[in-house]
Amino acid sequence: MSGTAEEHELLAAEYVLGTLDAEAARDVAARAAHEPALGAAIARWEERLAPLSALAPAVPPPPDAWDRLAAAIGAPATVPAQPGAAKPPLLGRVGFWRFTTAAGFALAAAFAGVAFLRPPQTGAVAALVPTNGTPAAFIAEMQRDGSLRLRPLDPVRVAANQDLELWALPPGASKPVSLGVIPAAGRRIAPTAPPEGGTQLLVSLEPRGGSPTGQPTGPVLFGGTLRSVD
Amino acid sequence: MLQRCGTGDAVSFRALYERQSGRLYGIALRITRQPALAADALHEALMQVWQHANRFDPARGSPEAWLTGLIRYRAMDIVRKHGREGGDAAIPDSADEAPGPLDALLASRDGKALHDCIATLEAAQRRAILLAFVDGLTHSEISARISAPLGTVKSWVRRGLLALKECLGP
Repeated sequence: MSGTAEEHELLAAEYVLGTLDAEAARDVAARAAHEPALGAAIARWEERLAPLSALAPAVPPPPDAWDRLAAAIGAPATVPAQPGAAKPPLLGRVGFWRFTTAAGFALAAAFAGVAFLRPPQTGAVAALVPTNGTPAAFIAEMQRDGSLRLRPLDPVRVAANQDLELWALPPGASKPVSLGVIPAAGRRIAPTAPPEGGTQLLVSLEPRGGSPTGQPTGPVLFGGTLRSVD
Repeated sequence: MLQRCGTGDAVSFRALYERQSGRLYGIALRITRQPALAADALHEALMQVWQHANRFDPARGSPEAWLTGLIRYRAMDIVRKHGREGGDAAIPDSADEAPGPLDALLASRDGKALHDCIATLEAAQRRAILLAFVDGLTHSEISARISAPLGTVKSWVRRGLLALKECLGP
């Protein structure tokens, strides 16, 4: 292993281990979003070290933990617990992500939560965010006329030979549909059919001009769910 | 008017909660050492699952490893923001433990391989890596905890990680 490759590997390992200081950890998270090799190295270390978590004994969470989650997702707290239920379909819609990994990119799980906003004159919003503590990067607002307005919250740097492409993944769909290439400065996009609530909006890094295949070919850098803000 | 999304999956989400919340809360409690902060970490991690479960990729690893990553990053973020002051000293850390607790790794095949490789590390390397992963300690916290110079701790961690990678294979 060359010195550089070893440093790269150790950076990923220490990120997963958690020994980097906060600033260095943020730096690695930001780099991983743009460097598929680093993202993949992080994923491998997560898999290698995950069994160590068995050393922390399981502890029942506080009794109100479920109520708090139920309130946050808008479900009744009385949703039944079903011991022995089938594997949750929550973890099942994976065909598209298997595709991106097959293409050599492993950043699919690197996304954080979605902000709820209440701006005027919009029907729905999604905050498209990277994870690991970095702030939201795009706000997507659906206008009353069904068009989407994209606003970057932080400058997004893209190499001269690359573009960012916006995708919609409707609820229940397994493959995303391109909504077009977006400049880093953001803009308005008018999809042929307005995305419905619950649609995942995704931004992938593609060759200049957009994906040549009709599906994401580069790492998906940002993602968020479109929510109604009535 | 757009529909609120997600409520259709609430039953599955509850099932996942029933299966995983104790394990995940235990991991968070070990790192944060404060039940309120551990509860926050659990809440944030499971909200990420709710919003982004379809980002989970089985080609990349197991669901357990994915969930473990989510809860650890959240717990470590929270600890970095709030510190560990007021933590419950009754919660042991892995530096206090005899080799026996490593037996918990033997329950899974991946855990067995890791167990065998961890066993080949020098004691100091093993201790530093466990304090970092299981207890979420930074280099300087490990240095203070086991009274070793910071540079030495960093070196133990790095050499231990490289030895683990070598032992576990690609």
